[in-house]
Amino acid sequence: MNDYFVQISKNPIIQKLINTMGLPKPPVELNRNTQPWEERPFNDQPIMIGQIQQTTLTKTLAETVVKAGGNPFIEKDEAILDIFDQVGKAYGRLPQSSLKNELPEKFAPKVLIFDATNIQKPEDLNSVYSFFQNHLRSLAICGRAVILSQPSTAKTDIPSAASSRALEGFIRAMAREIGFKGATANIVYVAPDATNRLEPVLRFLLSDRSAYITGQSLHISTQVVSDELIPKSRPLDGKTALVTGSAQGIGAAIARTLAREGARVIIMDRPSEDIPAGKLAAEIQGSILFCDITTPSAGDQIVDMVSKNFHGLDIVVHNAGITRDKLLVNMKPEIWDQVLDVNFSSILRVNEKLLPIMNSNARIVCLSSVSGIAGNRGQTNYSASKAGVIGFVSALAPRVAEKGIAVNAVAPGFIETKMTAQIPFATQLVARRLNNLNQGGTPVDVAETITFLCSPGASGMTGQVLRICGGALIGA
Amino acid sequence: MKNSKKRQAVIIGGVRTPFLRAFGDFTPLSTIDLGVQAVKGLLKKFPIAWREINSMIWSGVILPSATVNVGREIIFDLGLPMEIEAYTITRVCTSSLCAITLAAAAIERGEADVIIAGGSDSTSNAEVKMPQSLVHKFAPVVLSPKSTVRDYFRLLSKLNPKKDLIPQRPAIRERLTGELMGESAEKMASRNQISRESQDKFAMQSHQRAAKAIETGRFASELTSVELPNKNKVHADNIVRGNTSLEKLARLKPVFTKNGSLTAGNSSTLTDGAAAVLIMEFEKAKSLGFSPLSRIRSWSYDAVDPTDQLLIGPAISMPKALQKAGMTRNDIDLIDIHEAFAAQVLSVLKVLGSKQFAKDRLGFDKAFGNIDPKDINIHGGSVALGHPFAATGARMVITMANELKLSNKSTALLGICGAGALSAAAILEAVS
Repeated sequence: MNDYFVQISKNPIIQKLINTMGLPKPPVELNRNTQPWEERPFNDQPIMIGQIQQTTLTKTLAETVVKAGGNPFIEKDEAILDIFDQVGKAYGRLPQSSLKNELPEKFAPKVLIFDATNIQKPEDLNSVYSFFQNHLRSLAICGRAVILSQPSTAKTDIPSAASSRALEGFIRAMAREIGFKGATANIVYVAPDATNRLEPVLRFLLSDRSAYITGQSLHISTQVVSDELIPKSRPLDGKTALVTGSAQGIGAAIARTLAREGARVIIMDRPSEDIPAGKLAAEIQGSILFCDITTPSAGDQIVDMVSKNFHGLDIVVHNAGITRDKLLVNMKPEIWDQVLDVNFSSILRVNEKLLPIMNSNARIVCLSSVSGIAGNRGQTNYSASKAGVIGFVSALAPRVAEKGIAVNAVAPGFIETKMTAQIPFATQLVARRLNNLNQGGTPVDVAETITFLCSPGASGMTGQVLRICGGALIGA
Repeated sequence: MKNSKKRQAVIIGGVRTPFLRAFGDFTPLSTIDLGVQAVKGLLKKFPIAWREINSMIWSGVILPSATVNVGREIIFDLGLPMEIEAYTITRVCTSSLCAITLAAAAIERGEADVIIAGGSDSTSNAEVKMPQSLVHKFAPVVLSPKSTVRDYFRLLSKLNPKKDLIPQRPAIRERLTGELMGESAEKMASRNQISRESQDKFAMQSHQRAAKAIETGRFASELTSVELPNKNKVHADNIVRGNTSLEKLARLKPVFTKNGSLTAGNSSTLTDGAAAVLIMEFEKAKSLGFSPLSRIRSWSYDAVDPTDQLLIGPAISMPKALQKAGMTRNDIDLIDIHEAFAAQVLSVLKVLGSKQFAKDRLGFDKAFGNIDPKDINIHGGSVALGHPFAATGARMVITMANELKLSNKSTALLGICGAGALSAAAILEAVS
């Protein structure tokens, strides 16, 4: 299940060989962080910050960077520098600025953030261009580039709305250009009243935990009612999580990561998965529920188990899923039914039963797929089910926001799992290269993203589909 | 012991040995010997009937592994009554302040009326250990009654000269981060942008003030002379350089990192020394005819993350002690901060002025306030005097208690940082 190309290219002899033969450079092995969440995820990393002018986000940005242990580097503007100075003083992270010629000669920022929330006209794009044009070359291996902007509403004037949208194209294109060094680029739209929900999102997005997310747009709003504290470490302490189909593969990785952050995990899978489920339960001190998600009583069985052993559910991850690929003309009704039932209808059925036992500040995450966004040859059943999941998430989210429940989907691209290992060899070979990062993702990438979406700090995000695809060349 | 409603612990006074650079004249004296000298001086200065002493709370950082309870050994060596109970604590550089506050707490709780508290450290006698792997290989053979000569030979053949036979240097690195304290302080200097010049200036101030205090006899009342095994006597501190100048300090090379700003001149050095303080219940002191110097109004012990800023802790502890005392910055007459490194003190001062720090880290609305480095440590500090780890806290208490009396002031705030990112602060209040 490993990307052998990444593995062998770590060998110095093979590296030399590749260089001398002038072969295309092998992909960079992505930095990943599988340790528990820490107080300071950007410890001592240089972080370069650019802004058009001072904005309402400046202080949040300064606090986010220094609290997470980053060393801020600022371009221009005394006012911005002043804010960073005030905040930095408290944390021993005083800003260095090109204003005072303090930028070191050899300088490889780990992160480039551009705050474009006050973009008003097409000309403002020039400062975005010049910021990244200046610094992109020095961006560190596996670095992060992020643009912050404001979502357009009916009240936004036309030039700012249009310019703001232009940023999205810019970031997607830039993501393709920096993928060769394992770096990612994303854009975050922050609603004006949701400033205080930005910090946890940035802590995730700028960390090594978001290694396989690139070329995406994230939206932060105050739609979801949130009244809990936002811990920086062990975010899921005391929470109860249900992960369907979690005996093996991505599901098991999700269960492990949730447990690592303090959640008590209910591992749910079919009775035939008893051996791996048992092993996993012992490893993470989880509970097991043997139940086929497609049985009509599945929802009741879960409710029964939870009410006997726990105080409601805080996290539900609808992970169970299968593929049965066939061209539509050859597809028998059985496999059409089977895929739609497991991947789609069962989620709707079970979720309805679970909603009453979900606590406030709960999180629901569904597994969609890039296949559900872009469609895939031979996967009409799978693509339909995974697109249905997206529809489900966007319909459900506004209905439960009042209760404090956030509902999101993740859409993995090519992830190195047992399931993808069964894809014909040649197809695999091509499939895992068809993205900005030139490699497949790992179950850990999905698990870390889901864990973030399940954390208290993710209350700003709901009804969204977050792609974990390395910036796949296909799909919108 | 009387158990009246409100018992109050008071500091009668204290003495310390001279502080000498490690591997100097004090090299033959162990931690216990140094403690003995300090307590001997204390009892000479404050003649108290020995049977009145209830307890000895001692402290040390580099403790002798064979006799960890140094306090009890001091009692034996001095021939004090065997009935005096004793224990020895370690809380890194805050150790002897901790011994003193423990004593105050015990007295106020009614556990004792008279306690000697203090600390000693002999960095010259830090133990060099054989590797534990050697112990693990030897022990089964040596301890077994069935072992034969053959077993011993087999044992020798198994030894790995590189791994098993090279003794381990005593490490003063942080176990968690692997950093020397100076390396951590160097990081703090660069993160808080503390310049080499300001560090040197502060170090010079420390040296000049300590030299002046010696010259004017300010320390005479707190020092006790120490008799060495060769019958020579040591009367004075030997680390203070009153004649130092900014030019001299500027010439020194950085010691911890290549382009760093910490030098031997603006850091505290390895030191041997001891200090002891006599603490009593207020009524008891009166009945014994002692006039107390001060009492401890409040204290606070805290810890921060060693991987962040190792020695920033006093910036947490000092405002907290102030809050516990129900005082504000303006109520404080003297501020004394332990100088592990000039850079560390200046970093702490910088942060104390930050409102955001007060809000985020302490939950206070107001910053402690800006402090001019000139306004602290009026008689110098550890950079000039040296830093025998477990004697420093008691030295600060003694100097400040004496100063309050002499200058007719009422309150002093003490702040100390320590390894493992511990910190402590205490407020002394003059007793009229």
